[in-house]
Amino acid sequence: MLRKLLKHEFRATARIMVPVYLVLLVTALGANFSTRGILKTPYAVLNILGSLLVMAFVVAIMAVCVVSFLLMIQRFYKNLLRDEGYLMLTLPASIHQQVWSKLIVSSVWFIITGVVVMLSFVMMALDVSFLEGMVQVLQQLFQDITAYYAINGTVFLLELLVLAFAGSIAFCLQFYAALAIGHSFSNHKFAWSVAFFFILQFASQLVGSLLLLSLNTSLINSLLGSLDFRVSGMTAIHIGMGILIAVCVVYSAVFYVITTYFLKKHLNLE
Amino acid sequence: MAVLECKELTKRYGAAQALNHVNLQIEPGRIVGLLGPNGSGKTTLIKLANGLLTPTEGEILVCGNVPGRESHACVSYLPERTAIPTWMSAAQLMDFYGDFYQDFRRDAAEEMLKRLEISPRQRIKQMSKGTREKVQLIMVMSRAAQLYLLDEPIGGVDPATRDYILSTIITNYNPEAAVIISTHLISDVEKVLDDVIFINQGQVVLQSSVDQIREEKGMSVDALFREVFKC
Repeated sequence: MLRKLLKHEFRATARIMVPVYLVLLVTALGANFSTRGILKTPYAVLNILGSLLVMAFVVAIMAVCVVSFLLMIQRFYKNLLRDEGYLMLTLPASIHQQVWSKLIVSSVWFIITGVVVMLSFVMMALDVSFLEGMVQVLQQLFQDITAYYAINGTVFLLELLVLAFAGSIAFCLQFYAALAIGHSFSNHKFAWSVAFFFILQFASQLVGSLLLLSLNTSLINSLLGSLDFRVSGMTAIHIGMGILIAVCVVYSAVFYVITTYFLKKHLNLE
Repeated sequence: MAVLECKELTKRYGAAQALNHVNLQIEPGRIVGLLGPNGSGKTTLIKLANGLLTPTEGEILVCGNVPGRESHACVSYLPERTAIPTWMSAAQLMDFYGDFYQDFRRDAAEEMLKRLEISPRQRIKQMSKGTREKVQLIMVMSRAAQLYLLDEPIGGVDPATRDYILSTIITNYNPEAAVIISTHLISDVEKVLDDVIFINQGQVVLQSSVDQIREEKGMSVDALFREVFKC
C-alpha cells in the first residue's frame, strides 16, 4: 500500500515541481546567454534585458526552494488534515504508511531540488568545454581523495546522501508534529499549529542543551580522557557522519511518535 | 454477522457529549436511515465508524474489526463534504480508486459518468458544486463494499438530483451489503429505507423497520420524526 501511496503522492507533487524545475533551468540558460553575450553589447535595451534575465535566475532559485518547502507543508496539511483527509485517512492504509509516503516524497524532492539548483548554476556559469573540464577535475579529485587519503569516497558520498535524507525527514517531521497537534484542537487549528511549532522547537533546544551540559561532567571527561583513541582522520570523519545521522534519527523518532500518536488518537477533522 | 456494531459507544468533545452509550447492530442487506436533527450525533457516529475519531468509551466494530486499514477496505464512505482532490480529473480519480480499492468497478463508474454527461477528462476543480458531489457519490457507489456509510448524500443538491442520487444508491449497492444514510431530509429518503434509527442528543431513541412503523403507528417515518422531535 505504501508503494501506491508513494505513486499518487509523486503524481500530485510532480505536477508542481517539474514545471518549477523547468522554469529554473530555462532562466539559468537565459542568465548564461546574458553573462556571456547580452550584457557585453553596447545597446542599453539589451543590457536591461540581460540584467532582467540574471535577476529572473536569482528569483527562480529562491522560488524553487520556497516551493519545495511550502509543498511539503501543504501536502501534509491539505491532503491529510483538511477536506481531503476524509478520503485519504479512510483508505485501506495505516497512519504510518500515510506519514512515510509524505516524508519520503518530500525528502526526495528536497534532494532533487538541491541537485537541480547545482545543475542550474553549472548551466548558468559555464560553456560546454568548461563543463567537460569540470567533470574531469571532479573525477580526478574523487580518485585522488580515494587513492591518497584512503577515504572511501563512495562510502562518504553514501553517508552524505543518508545524512541529507535523514536531515530532511527530521526537518519535515518538526512541521508535521506541530500540525498534527494543532489540528487536534476544535478551533484555531492553524494558530495552534504555529504555536506548537515554536513550543516544540523550544523544548528540543532545551533538551539538546541539557544533554550537552550533562555530557560535560567530570566523570565523562575523565572517561573520555582515559580512552586511547587511535583512529585515523578518515575514520573520524566516518564516525562523525555516523553520529550526525544518529542524532537526526533520534530527533526524527521523537517527532514521528508525536505525529502518528496525534493522527491516530486525537484526529479531529473539521 | 453484523457489519456495524456499537457497544456502549460514547464520544465526548471536552465537556460536550456527542454520543452517549450507544448500542446498535446493523445487519447486511438493509438500507438504514440514520435520522436525527442537526447536532444529534449522526456525523460523529459515522466518523467513529471510519476511524476519523476515537471513542471516549465503548467500542465500535466494522465488519468485525476495530476501525483501521482492514475495516476501511470493506467500507465505502461518502463524507458530508467534497473530499476528492480537486486537481484531479474524473479519470485520474478512477485510477486512484482503482489503485486503492480492489472492489472498485471502473466500468460502473464510467457508465454513470457517461449517463450524467460528465467528461472523464474534466477536472474536478472545473465542475460545479453539485457535479462534484455527483462524481464523489459515483466513486463511492462504484465500489462493491460490505458497508456504505453515506453522510448527508442529498444535503446540498436540487430535488431532481436527489432522485438521481437515491436511485443510484439503490441500483448500485451490493445487495449483500448494508447502507447507512444519514440525513434530516426524511421525506426524500423514506421511500428507499428498510430500517430507521432515530438519534437525538447522542442517544438512540428508536430503532425499527419502516414497515413496523407504518403498521404499528399508522404513520410515515416523516410524520413520526416530526412527532418524536417536536420542538
